[in-house]
Amino acid sequence: MKSLLLLATALGGLALLSPQAALAQDTKITIGTDVDAGTLDPRLTTDTTAYRTVDLIYAGLVTLTPSLEAKPDLAESWESPDPTTYIFHLRKGLKFSDGSPLTADDVVYTFTTITDPKFNAPDRGLYSPITKVEAVDPDTVKFTLNAPYAPLLSYLDKGIVSKAAAESGRDLATNPLGEGPMTLKNWTRGDNIELVANPNYWAGSPKVTDVVVKIVGDNSARAQAFEAGDLDVIQSPLSPNDIKRLEADTRFGNVIEAGLGVTYINFNTKDPLLADAGMRQAFSMLIDQNSIVNDIYQGVDKVATSIILPSSWAFSPDIKQPTFDVAGAVAKFNELGWKDTDGDGILDKDGKKLTVTIATHSEDPNRVQAVELEQAIFQSAGVDAKVQISDWPSFSTNYVMKSEHQIALLGWLNIVDPDRLLFNQLSTGGATNWGGYSNPEVDKLLQLGRSSLDQAARKDAYQKAAKILASDLPYYIISDQGYQLFYKKPFPVDVDVTPRGNFRGLIGMPK
Amino acid sequence: MLAYAIRRLLLLVPMAAGMVIVTFALLLMVPGDPAHVLLGPEATPDMIANLRASLGLDNPWYVRLWDYFAHLLQGDMGRSIFQNAPVSQIIAGRLGATIELAVVALLLATLIGMTLGVIAAMRQGSLIDTATMLLAQLGVSMPVYWMGLLLMLGFSVQLNWLPAIGRGAPLLDAFGAALTGRPQVLADSLMHILLPALALAAYSAAVISRLVRTSMLEVLREDFIRTAYAKGLRRPRVVIRHALRNALLPVLSVIGMQFGILLGGAVLVEQIFAWPGLGQLTIGAISQRDLPLVQGITLTFALTFAIINLIVDLLYAVVDPRVRLG
Repeated sequence: MKSLLLLATALGGLALLSPQAALAQDTKITIGTDVDAGTLDPRLTTDTTAYRTVDLIYAGLVTLTPSLEAKPDLAESWESPDPTTYIFHLRKGLKFSDGSPLTADDVVYTFTTITDPKFNAPDRGLYSPITKVEAVDPDTVKFTLNAPYAPLLSYLDKGIVSKAAAESGRDLATNPLGEGPMTLKNWTRGDNIELVANPNYWAGSPKVTDVVVKIVGDNSARAQAFEAGDLDVIQSPLSPNDIKRLEADTRFGNVIEAGLGVTYINFNTKDPLLADAGMRQAFSMLIDQNSIVNDIYQGVDKVATSIILPSSWAFSPDIKQPTFDVAGAVAKFNELGWKDTDGDGILDKDGKKLTVTIATHSEDPNRVQAVELEQAIFQSAGVDAKVQISDWPSFSTNYVMKSEHQIALLGWLNIVDPDRLLFNQLSTGGATNWGGYSNPEVDKLLQLGRSSLDQAARKDAYQKAAKILASDLPYYIISDQGYQLFYKKPFPVDVDVTPRGNFRGLIGMPK
Repeated sequence: MLAYAIRRLLLLVPMAAGMVIVTFALLLMVPGDPAHVLLGPEATPDMIANLRASLGLDNPWYVRLWDYFAHLLQGDMGRSIFQNAPVSQIIAGRLGATIELAVVALLLATLIGMTLGVIAAMRQGSLIDTATMLLAQLGVSMPVYWMGLLLMLGFSVQLNWLPAIGRGAPLLDAFGAALTGRPQVLADSLMHILLPALALAAYSAAVISRLVRTSMLEVLREDFIRTAYAKGLRRPRVVIRHALRNALLPVLSVIGMQFGILLGGAVLVEQIFAWPGLGQLTIGAISQRDLPLVQGITLTFALTFAIINLIVDLLYAVVDPRVRLG
């Protein structure tokens, strides 16, 4: 086996020496991904593959740079005459990939449908402050908001659909018509999505002429297919073992950086046991972040300190959640009246044992392992902990989303703005506030953070909110997820990726 | 035999109905809701209620079941919630790949299983016998996805002989291409199918080899074998023509059952090797709670299995004239 490895490495080395010129013409890339896209209608996407593929087929008013700043895409420029009005000027002569013209009416149509409750757009909540979208003239669109809304620009990278095509009954979910750098050539459901360069993109064709998005559901199989040369690019989610091995392999290039996701504990604040912030603090002190991050995830994620991502402009190192301290947790439980009176090793109060259920979903074996570790730690601290593992739909829809959980381990992705992890999740009555958390002070700060257009004021509001949350603990953030991408060398274009995992940085975008 | 075949075919109807009801009941019990999955974690309760209503999910279960049967009788398996296309069309696009994989795996399993079984029986108690049965033990006990990953690691990652994932042209088309002077198409298809088919075949090959060995050992002790030797026939002829043919009967019925196991195993193998068949579709459909699609796939699997078993039973009569069907 060892000699085989050597041979393979040697052959790989030879491949590196082959002339660059021959490879430069080969501009087809195959990207491995974990799930099939659910839809290719940009207004309806929910999964990562759909977001990323749609981002190639379509273009938005703006596009987000790797540092998450909004940069002109279809819109050449914009202005905001007052905090609740945005006016976008489209580039001249925009076209869909079939050559039909793209005008302000298409932009209006796209956002009118997204904000229409009957259309059921999954991201509707992100656009809810928009009260009106109108075409001032064919090249100008005006957005009117019900209140100032700072994160708006980060969400206006949404692809613009063709009003004419949609109204003529074309099924945009399976037969998309976009204006982005690539266009759909063929989609074999569950297997692959094939894209080709779109010469009608306003900036011209990208350098890569063919992109195949290949679905390989199993993380290890995907990593092996990449090593075998069947795939040119793979990215998160990958298993920590594979990441370590690929990172050490000189045949491959890699991008390993902070991602835009968190893994966290969701405490159900409506649960009688967990309604008291003191109890949530005690349980938080039993979360062994170091072992989870460095042993289970083998250091591909980073230990989190607060609800604000370290890569965010709003981050402050001075805000700190409680850290792992079993003795401290037991002391806290005792202080709250939970003591082991009958000597059975389990804390009790008024004749009732301290029993709690920790839950997660079965798709991610690392999360399952983390929950099992926590069960052992809870037990060592005198908590009778039960574990509940079920598949994602059962866990999410029928359990956490119905607020039936006590302590649940899950994650959030795509946090392009602090608002994205806070407003809907932790405002009173927020759409995804499954733990039923309610704190008027936090509500006020989150509203301020979303509506203030002054960056310093936003930063201040989010830091104040994060400080309260670090001791109130409706969420306990375990780790800031890392983002990993591996590509074969030599790669036909410069790799310039964003932690959102979008594919535009892999296709040699026209400047 | 024709009457028998027709009666068996008619029996498929109540079996299919039972299958639909069982699947339906299971899907009712499994928590999770397609509307939730479709709309993602940021959906609000009113959006979910809207979508549930438009999908007909808020009707009582008996109305939904009745609707399903009413449509099924007209040959309509409904529409996939996620793919927004007729279920029958989606399945038709996938069934070929799965049957191809299962059939190739079955052929491989039979070929490998019979060869190993006969060799082991002929050299009972020898080192070859022990080694073969050890191999069979390994094949029976190794989970199919683990076997798949190991094969991929060996033949694709380390040796780089075979592609790790995907499918070439459909085999039937590839044979056509080979006949019209494009053998590389066939070679590509065969190279793609070899690893997944081997991973899938391992378990069945092991079962078949054990069975052939036992069955051969029994037959080889029979009087007619001694008679054959006494007639002065050579050993290969006795083993192949006289013994193997008689030893085949129990094997044949097992092969029919193995096909069901292969269809089940295909679900895992397809996931590992990104093989675009029904198995891969099944996993996606279940995790998305795409109810009409799951129903359709289960029904298709059940019917395929039933029909294959019918064919095996008919073959039984062909191989053994003593068997009277009726």
